[in-house]
Amino acid sequence: MAFLIILIAAMPLGAAILTAILGPRLLREYSHVLAVTSTTISFIASLALLFVVGQTLARSASQGEQPVLERVIQLWTWAEIAPTGGSPQIPVAHGTVDFLRFQVPIVLRVDPLTALMLVTVTAVSLLVIVYSIGYMHDDPGYWRFFTYVSLFVFSMIMLVSVSNFLLLYVFWEAVGLCSYLLIGFWYRKPAAAAAGKKAFLVNRVGDFGFALGIFLIWSVYGTLNFHDTIDPQTGEVYSAGVLGMARLVHPEQGLLHGGVATAICLLLFAGACGKSAQFPLHVWLPDAMEGPTPVSALIHAATMVTAGVYMVARCMPLFQAAPHALTVVGIIAIITATMAAIIALTQTDLKRILAYSTISQLAYMFLGLSVGGLVGVAVAMFHLVTHAFFKALLFLGAGSVMHATGGVIDLNEIGGLRRRLPWTHLTFLVGSLALAGLCPFAGFFSKDEILHIVYQKASVSTLYLVLFVAAAGTAALTAVYTFRAYFRTFFGEERVPPEAAGRVHESPPVMIVPLVILAIASTVLGIVLGPTKVVEHFLAATPSLAAFANHGTSEHVTGSVNLVPWLSTVLTVCGIAWAALLVLGPATVAQPVVLLCRLLGLYPLSLHKFFVDELYSFLVVRPLTWLAGFAGWIDRYFIDFLVDAIGFLPKLVGSLLRSSHNGWIPWYGLGIVLGVLVLLAAMLF
Amino acid sequence: MDRTALLVHYLTVGTCLLGLGVVGFLSRRNLIVMFLSVELMLQGVIISFAGWDRYHGQSAGQVFILFIVAIAAAEAAIALALVLNLVRVRQGLDVLRLQRLREDILPPSIPVDEDRREAEPPSWPKLPRVGQPPSIPSEVLEYRPGV
Repeated sequence: MAFLIILIAAMPLGAAILTAILGPRLLREYSHVLAVTSTTISFIASLALLFVVGQTLARSASQGEQPVLERVIQLWTWAEIAPTGGSPQIPVAHGTVDFLRFQVPIVLRVDPLTALMLVTVTAVSLLVIVYSIGYMHDDPGYWRFFTYVSLFVFSMIMLVSVSNFLLLYVFWEAVGLCSYLLIGFWYRKPAAAAAGKKAFLVNRVGDFGFALGIFLIWSVYGTLNFHDTIDPQTGEVYSAGVLGMARLVHPEQGLLHGGVATAICLLLFAGACGKSAQFPLHVWLPDAMEGPTPVSALIHAATMVTAGVYMVARCMPLFQAAPHALTVVGIIAIITATMAAIIALTQTDLKRILAYSTISQLAYMFLGLSVGGLVGVAVAMFHLVTHAFFKALLFLGAGSVMHATGGVIDLNEIGGLRRRLPWTHLTFLVGSLALAGLCPFAGFFSKDEILHIVYQKASVSTLYLVLFVAAAGTAALTAVYTFRAYFRTFFGEERVPPEAAGRVHESPPVMIVPLVILAIASTVLGIVLGPTKVVEHFLAATPSLAAFANHGTSEHVTGSVNLVPWLSTVLTVCGIAWAALLVLGPATVAQPVVLLCRLLGLYPLSLHKFFVDELYSFLVVRPLTWLAGFAGWIDRYFIDFLVDAIGFLPKLVGSLLRSSHNGWIPWYGLGIVLGVLVLLAAMLF
Repeated sequence: MDRTALLVHYLTVGTCLLGLGVVGFLSRRNLIVMFLSVELMLQGVIISFAGWDRYHGQSAGQVFILFIVAIAAAEAAIALALVLNLVRVRQGLDVLRLQRLREDILPPSIPVDEDRREAEPPSWPKLPRVGQPPSIPSEVLEYRPGV
């Protein structure tokens, strides 16, 4: 396992470094070779790791014990500050001996959660990278693209496999950096540069909360490790990690409860909000469309936005100890899901619609997480996996459309492309069905499970009933906006933008093959993983989730007549039908409803994205601009004045003394004589 | 005459010489005269050294006197060479002609006559450069009146 996990992480890093060094001179149009090779190796190694983990679990399950698997591989110690003085006693009840020494080990971990994430990340990344060979062909920054992408994949692999909050933060930031570089890849385009900056700055807001959360964890728990450190001599637990087994055997004593715990979780969730584009901080994701389309696919599917979901899933014991935080997660999630779905209804940029659908689907994952426990994590991770595949499929499909139309993606300018782009059309249809959640496709199973567990929780809490209703409504909206985009792109009268220059063509095989593979995965994954609950059983062996395994699974099986799948199927079909009617049907049918929405004020609200950008511009950007202007004024007229005044002083003194410097030698002689007299006088008296 | 009165006489003469030298140095504009005034100051110092030497009955003062005389001789050689060069450049012994050291924005103390210097190159007698054999024109070498 140690070899595999190091191999998985090292390959993309090596590819990034080598491509950066060799790319501009040596590799040039072959720059993709290293990235593709290394990601392929990483993917195969991830599959092997998943297989090894599964086998180990099966072996320990056959011996009748509850399987828990955690392998921690310590590579080296990054920082170690030995204690100076201080009492050897443990300072607080929850603390550990780590309080006395600040130690940051570079540790990788292998457990089912990591293994699952690794396979998803590497699989989607590999397909996206292969697709980019065709998409980024002839771009002047070809080598730069593959360097950044390799670095991106490396950062994400490390993010899911480190075992320390500080390292998590490091790679959290590395992912943010790579997203900045890739969103602003075409840096000569002002919109792209601005979008890159926006992504970075909005993420920074969330990361600030995340950093505070980590500080709080350190000051409360005294360690930042996930795992328990075991003394090699005695075999006893030397220092109990935050998410280690030693604490979680008795979570009531091991973990902190109450206000501070809620604060920690809310701060961590603020970080997740930034990275996973949840409600107050979601504004960066739609703008991230300015980057190349494969980057959008990568960000939306594999390497960026899932980091927040992963982090909350990883820290689930902490959240479980702070139920209020979980409630907040649920409320934020449902606000985001509904809002993003409503916004997506009226957008005309295909990629922007997909971006809002990503925000909405991520909110679904957080909704699943807000139920808590192993079940919540399992459904969220399941949806994460399926979503990664079908969202990558949709984005790459949109990229294929762009490839054909000369970069135009506005729904008002394109249409009826299904005959020109048969493969893209077919795979896009599969992706749309999966996103809308129709029965045999992947999205159906994963979304349905989220709805199901929220519905089960509704019997306990009224809040979750509200959440369930809103989530079901959002499911219908999802179907509407997805198929609105689908129908407008591929059906109706054939419209081709002038930018295509009459050369609308299907993409090359190197782009079509990844699409087909993703389409197959989007079809099959749900049936394979969904009804068998294999994700849940697999994740139950994660140490941080094992504690919930006993009281998590049982309630899931009960529920005599399950109405939720039927409900969601009906809603989805209605949504698709309504979308078809709206786009393809006679205008008289759709017009009254559109008019009604217009009258209610929903339409402009949706078109202008709930005015969130305008609100931020008014509340944050405008005051900051004023402040900057004011600071600039102070700098120019006050601080510069002081500096100039000090500079003026020597000039003034110089001009006073200048007349003595007249070049008249007897005058200087007099000066010498007078100086001698002064010295003499000073000596005598 | 006792020793103290003798010392007072020595010092009086030395101080007078020094004072005359200072006054001369400050009041005259001729470079050579200014240089002579400096010499006068040195002689005043020497005389006061001699007086103190006599007063204390030691010979250390005479050693200093010898040193000063030697240094004054060396200084005279250097100073006269400098004066000669300055005169060559400035066409005159007036010290006010050396006014390059003043601030540019101040008016010159005497009018600067640049044109005359450019128009009329100086024709002072030239010494051969040190360390080089004198260059004798070939006509001179080839002229052999005896052959």
